[in-house]
Amino acid sequence: MAGNLQHPFQCVQFIERQSSGLQDLLVASAGSRVYSYAVGNGQRLAVWPQNVESVNNESTGSTGPESSSDSQAPPEKKRKVSSENEQNEHSKSATESSDKSQPSVTWSTVPLLVPSSDGRHLVALTGEDKTIRVLKVAEDGTLEQISARSMPKRPSSIVLAGDDSTILSADKFGDVYSLPLIPSDNPARIQRNLRQAKVSAPVASNLTVHTKRNLASLEQQKKYLEQNGSQEKPGPDFEHQLLLGHVSLLTDLAFVSLQSESSNNKRSYVLTADKDEHIRVSRGPPQSHVIENYCLGHNSFVSSLCIPQWAPEFLVSGGGDGYLIVWKWLEGRIIERVSILDETSENKEVAVRGIWAASLSESADPSKVSNVILVAIDGSSKLLSYALEADGTLKSHSPIQVSGNVLSVSSMDRNGMILVSIDSVREAGSTQTWRTNPASAQTLVEAFGVKPETGGLQWEPITEGMASSINAQGTSSVPATISEKQKQEMNESLYNLGNLRKRGFGDDD
Amino acid sequence: MPAPPAKRQKRDNKDSQSQTPSEAGDGTKLPQKRYFRQRAHANPLSDHKLSYPLTPAHMDWASLFPEYVDPDPSKINLGGTRKLLKNVEVADIGCGFGGLLVGLAPLMPDTLMVGMEIRHLVIEYVRQRIDALRAQQQQLKSSTSSPHPNNETESSNTSAESPSNTAISPVAGGYQNISSLRSNTMKFLPNFFAKHQLSKIFICFPDPHFKVRKHKARIISETLNAEYAYVLRPGGLLYTITDVEGYHNWILEHFHDVPAKDGDNASKEGDNAKPAEVDVGSEGGIKDVWERVPDEELQHDPCIQCMKDSTEEGQKVTRNNGMKFVAVFRRKADPEWPA
Repeated sequence: MAGNLQHPFQCVQFIERQSSGLQDLLVASAGSRVYSYAVGNGQRLAVWPQNVESVNNESTGSTGPESSSDSQAPPEKKRKVSSENEQNEHSKSATESSDKSQPSVTWSTVPLLVPSSDGRHLVALTGEDKTIRVLKVAEDGTLEQISARSMPKRPSSIVLAGDDSTILSADKFGDVYSLPLIPSDNPARIQRNLRQAKVSAPVASNLTVHTKRNLASLEQQKKYLEQNGSQEKPGPDFEHQLLLGHVSLLTDLAFVSLQSESSNNKRSYVLTADKDEHIRVSRGPPQSHVIENYCLGHNSFVSSLCIPQWAPEFLVSGGGDGYLIVWKWLEGRIIERVSILDETSENKEVAVRGIWAASLSESADPSKVSNVILVAIDGSSKLLSYALEADGTLKSHSPIQVSGNVLSVSSMDRNGMILVSIDSVREAGSTQTWRTNPASAQTLVEAFGVKPETGGLQWEPITEGMASSINAQGTSSVPATISEKQKQEMNESLYNLGNLRKRGFGDDD
Repeated sequence: MPAPPAKRQKRDNKDSQSQTPSEAGDGTKLPQKRYFRQRAHANPLSDHKLSYPLTPAHMDWASLFPEYVDPDPSKINLGGTRKLLKNVEVADIGCGFGGLLVGLAPLMPDTLMVGMEIRHLVIEYVRQRIDALRAQQQQLKSSTSSPHPNNETESSNTSAESPSNTAISPVAGGYQNISSLRSNTMKFLPNFFAKHQLSKIFICFPDPHFKVRKHKARIISETLNAEYAYVLRPGGLLYTITDVEGYHNWILEHFHDVPAKDGDNASKEGDNAKPAEVDVGSEGGIKDVWERVPDEELQHDPCIQCMKDSTEEGQKVTRNNGMKFVAVFRRKADPEWPA
């Protein structure tokens, strides 16, 4: 596949299945597709959507235009190879899909992948159509869509809660919804959505508006309603519930259960981060309207939350202000603030792309584990590595240098390995400049393990095996003839954290 | 629909004039509202040039309530400013031209109250108004040697918009207990107030945002009510008043006090056990932190009359023979954790 640039993996996730007697999987999204690989030898097991050949040329060719014009744009010429398959999928879903007989995929990216902890399901968010798709992960690693639910606003973060039974989705409108992982067969139990409460008549009356202009427009409204009837957009017609909301754009979401000190029960919490510097700690459903506290301390947007499984009382957060903050989140207390600014670089506008917690077993002695916090900066080829000490402070290790911008990280704890997905399309350190001369074999992922050593933690690359196998199999190609505008759109969709910075102000200031 | 440029021009001219009257005299002259007119709507969803503290512990309250600054200069908050002797306890969210604050000031002379408003011209008016009122009171205090602070009946007169400086009477608290600041509370309320800090929140004549598409911009919603519950202490009250009946019903609905179910108000008060039959969507809903205060209880609450008559919007509604709908909600204690 040399010559053409290939879609990088936007999201990689490890699916642990060994405890249920199955092979562990790695799932990764690139372009409009999701791939599954066998952990170990890295052999590709499946591609979703399945109609690889037919979609291949189309989806890559239309990545650009689709991202700009949504699914409304006149579709390019498409062969109806996949229609049967698609309709099958849609008939199973509870969404209004009757009008969607479009044969090809309606998205060009899959920004989020969230596996269930039992490894049987994978929740995928598809980009432009804002649709949460639940895929069934078969024993052999193949993926099959079992439901598609189109959300009212684009979700920015998704987690699974309550023993995998519930999807929590935080969106760009500031709301968090919960939906069952598997929609119940009985669609009658649809929660009413307050925000889309029925309004069939204008709420204003000549008691409440007085100016000539307002009265005239009220008259217009009434006339319009008489002629056309209420033209409200109906809310989603699947079972869902509004849990909480910020009046801001939500960037990340975390769900955590803690053993309560006073009782034997576990208490669950939902943490939400927004563009306006807030981290909110709410109780888990069904009491998500009870806010326990706020973690305030970031000076710019918050983009990532990470609560390590091995130390759930701590939260590591990052955003646009050049700091990581470690919190004792239940008290809203800052333990430590750690600068992530590169002293040598002039760029002070860094944004944290992701924070991951890994607990890696040593290959020689599985009882020895290294607990690490990994931090990726948007548009940087350095993956920062820290140890989280028992008192909650971060101890910096030497960072991991990879060959391109870090996009996503997945840790395979028991294998003592992390897999880093690399942007092989753009130059390292740039979110805009495309590589001109693609190497013969593109690097999509790089694997690293912990070097057994005394003292500070050292990483060493694992070149053989899984990573090289995944790289060799490649992903779909980005067409060579893609226009500058399309490139721009692809950059935007992959690197959008910069938009969270406050630049424009309200026009009344 | 953007306003035609000509209109904007006119407003800009007024803006520049607004500088002049504020500097007049010894600061006891009340500002004139006509220099501070601003479009009635501000988009709460957009970024404004706002300043807000990092946390409530960083908030500079000392400059807003100089009379209440702790005399001990070593008591400094995280923002490096002096601490107050007491915390702000009442917030008027969307205070507009400040009528409610001025009306409430003598009713609760020892309680610190702050008005919050997103429109910068309007908040500048309120600031100047309170400065002038404070200066008047100070002047009065120094000129008359025999102050008689119990003057509640007369004080309510001063709350009425009276540009003339005639008949200034002493007012309990001397307006030192009220202040105002610019903020978008829909985003930044938790930056100003700590958990359970407030005892009362007023939301008077909120922007109705009639269009369904704009409902997210409404200042009352189920999701924002969770934030109000956070800053309000258990037992604290949230007052709402509106002249739009549809909005009133919206408010009731978003506190899960559906109008049709008004009848069973009594049963809710008795115990906090959930009613056997829970309506769809309210399972563990916002209702277990809020309850509506029955009208009988409100009859003796002077704040209600103040909301109806002291607010500029309330007076306007009276002039236009409109209706006024009041709903007050009590913040209940947090529910027990589910077993």
